[in-house]
Amino acid sequence: MTEELKAQRNVPSDISQLPVVWRYELLKYLRSWRLYASVIIVIAVMALLYLLPPLLGESYSGTDTGTEVLVTPTTTVPGMPDGPYTVYAVGVLNRSQIDVDSLVVYRDGAMYPFADGSNWFLSEVQYGSASVYTIVFLQNVTGSVITASYEWYISPESFETLFLNFASFLIIICATFFGADAIVSEFQNRTGYLVFPNPIKRSVLFLGKFSASVTAGFMVVTIFYAVLAVLSMISARGIDDDFLLSFGYAVEFLIAAMAVAYLISSVLKGSTGATVLTFFLFVMILPIIDSVSAFSGAKIEASLTFSADAMIHILADPYPVDQVVDFGPMILNSYYPDQVLAAVTMAAYALASLVLGMYLFNRKQLAG
Amino acid sequence: MIELQQLNKSFGPIKAVDDLTLKVEKSTTVGFLGPNGAGKTTTIKILTNLIGATSGRALLNGVDVVSDPKMALAHVGAVVETPEFYPFLTPVETLSYLGRIRGMSPQDISSRTNEVLQQVKMEQWRSTRIGKFSKGMKQRLAIGQALLHEPDILILDEPTSGLDPRGMVEVRGIINDLKKEHYTIFMSSHLLGEVEETCDKAALIDHGKLLVYDDIDSLGKLTKVMKLEVVGSSAINDSVVGRISALPSVVQVERASQQTLVVTYEGSVESRGDLLKGVQAIGVNVISFSPVGLPLEALYMDLVKESR
Repeated sequence: MTEELKAQRNVPSDISQLPVVWRYELLKYLRSWRLYASVIIVIAVMALLYLLPPLLGESYSGTDTGTEVLVTPTTTVPGMPDGPYTVYAVGVLNRSQIDVDSLVVYRDGAMYPFADGSNWFLSEVQYGSASVYTIVFLQNVTGSVITASYEWYISPESFETLFLNFASFLIIICATFFGADAIVSEFQNRTGYLVFPNPIKRSVLFLGKFSASVTAGFMVVTIFYAVLAVLSMISARGIDDDFLLSFGYAVEFLIAAMAVAYLISSVLKGSTGATVLTFFLFVMILPIIDSVSAFSGAKIEASLTFSADAMIHILADPYPVDQVVDFGPMILNSYYPDQVLAAVTMAAYALASLVLGMYLFNRKQLAG
Repeated sequence: MIELQQLNKSFGPIKAVDDLTLKVEKSTTVGFLGPNGAGKTTTIKILTNLIGATSGRALLNGVDVVSDPKMALAHVGAVVETPEFYPFLTPVETLSYLGRIRGMSPQDISSRTNEVLQQVKMEQWRSTRIGKFSKGMKQRLAIGQALLHEPDILILDEPTSGLDPRGMVEVRGIINDLKKEHYTIFMSSHLLGEVEETCDKAALIDHGKLLVYDDIDSLGKLTKVMKLEVVGSSAINDSVVGRISALPSVVQVERASQQTLVVTYEGSVESRGDLLKGVQAIGVNVISFSPVGLPLEALYMDLVKESR
């Protein structure tokens, strides 16, 4: 070998080695059944969630014809300022989204026109955390039978929430598939004998592998959100304002869950144990803590899965607040993660798990 | 150059490497010998950053692999045990991966990949995923990846392990070729003949301690117990066998055939002449008088027996 060639073969910096590890680790996932299995799971579950409600009689859109409106006499409407009109009653339309142009109201069977807002008008009224389409009557309709015909469709919030309940489970699957055995397999499968005697720091290997695992998971989660966005556009005629925020929380949860999976992978000695522990930690152990938290009345913001629920709740408008309902013999607590605290908690999990996992990986020996 | 300075490695109460000091000069090939559990692989694992040392230093080109493994391993190629490869990659992709980690340019990787795959006779499998490879094929590829960046130092842990006889000969041929290119090679082996055939020097360890380290030729002369095959022109009767057994330095006489005896004796290489004279004086017409087994084997057995 010439001296010139030898001089060219200087060991690259840590920063330039990182994308090399990332690239070949990602290639592993692109060629593995795990990535395809994850995508198949996404498609299968989304197809199931999308098709099952209509098959069970609960469509995402339709037309209500001659539906009786339950009229409640009142003079005030929550959240509505006093105006140059007198309110006599309100009638709730029990659909999350209504095509306002299609709405026709009938009074005792005869068309009851809008009349430039002198008879009634339609408003979205906030009852607690729910926004409800409400006909506000400006004439006394007591004793009349009010019916309505209108086209309705599910709201983006309701439609997306239905699917997002599956998102955290999908991320757990990604952490299990792409992270749980990423480190331990280097020891168990003896590939460490090939890689470790090279001029590369273990921390660079760790971070390169981690970023590849996150990339693989990111691809799956992005496919999920992209398909959901398309379905939402079709079925709910739009996407929720906070959809991207939800995606942001989902990515953050993916990073945090992957970091925890890497930590477990750095601690345990067997791939099976690491895979099982990662999966059950997220689907059983942490959710049990969350349930006990609600039962005991002690809100545990530090739970990773509790914080991850922000990706679902963020769609609710307004963001839900904690509720304590006293049923007499029992008190039911409904806790919701604080938006900022949830983001901080997930970041803390990611950082702490990465630092600890890297430290343990550095110390781990191929002694077997 | 490889230098071990008072290297120690303990696993709980067990001392796998015990105050090991050894220096492998540049451009020499050193065989690292010892029985199972002697500490050979542990030493090699420390040298290749697979495990840490309890104390002491392991220097590769003057850089301590324990404190700065990245710089120490910059110009080192290693095959430790039979490594497993990523099954989803082909040999070309694996070499590309390792080449990039070692700072080689894409053009350099491409040309060296062709050379090493040819060298280890794996060209025809270059684009086949490694998951389908046999142990022997993986061992060849392991040697290939160690040579990819033309390192100054090669560390080989039982490089012919898992190979068929033909593969063993080929690997020894590769090592002999590398010797001509002035590589510094440090290889452990169970095969004493392999070490004698390929190495300039040998280090024997047992219980983690260095027993002896010298040139192969010099080591052969160190052994005290040797075996010699004595062939007479006619059958050698039992009374003659008894008289040979009584000769000074003779430990044991075994009959291999009517005309052939295997004499185990204790003494220097030079004292062989006295033994020959003694056998002839008894009346045996000796037509052949030659050492049995390898000198290194005799020394190995001798030293290991002593250390246990």
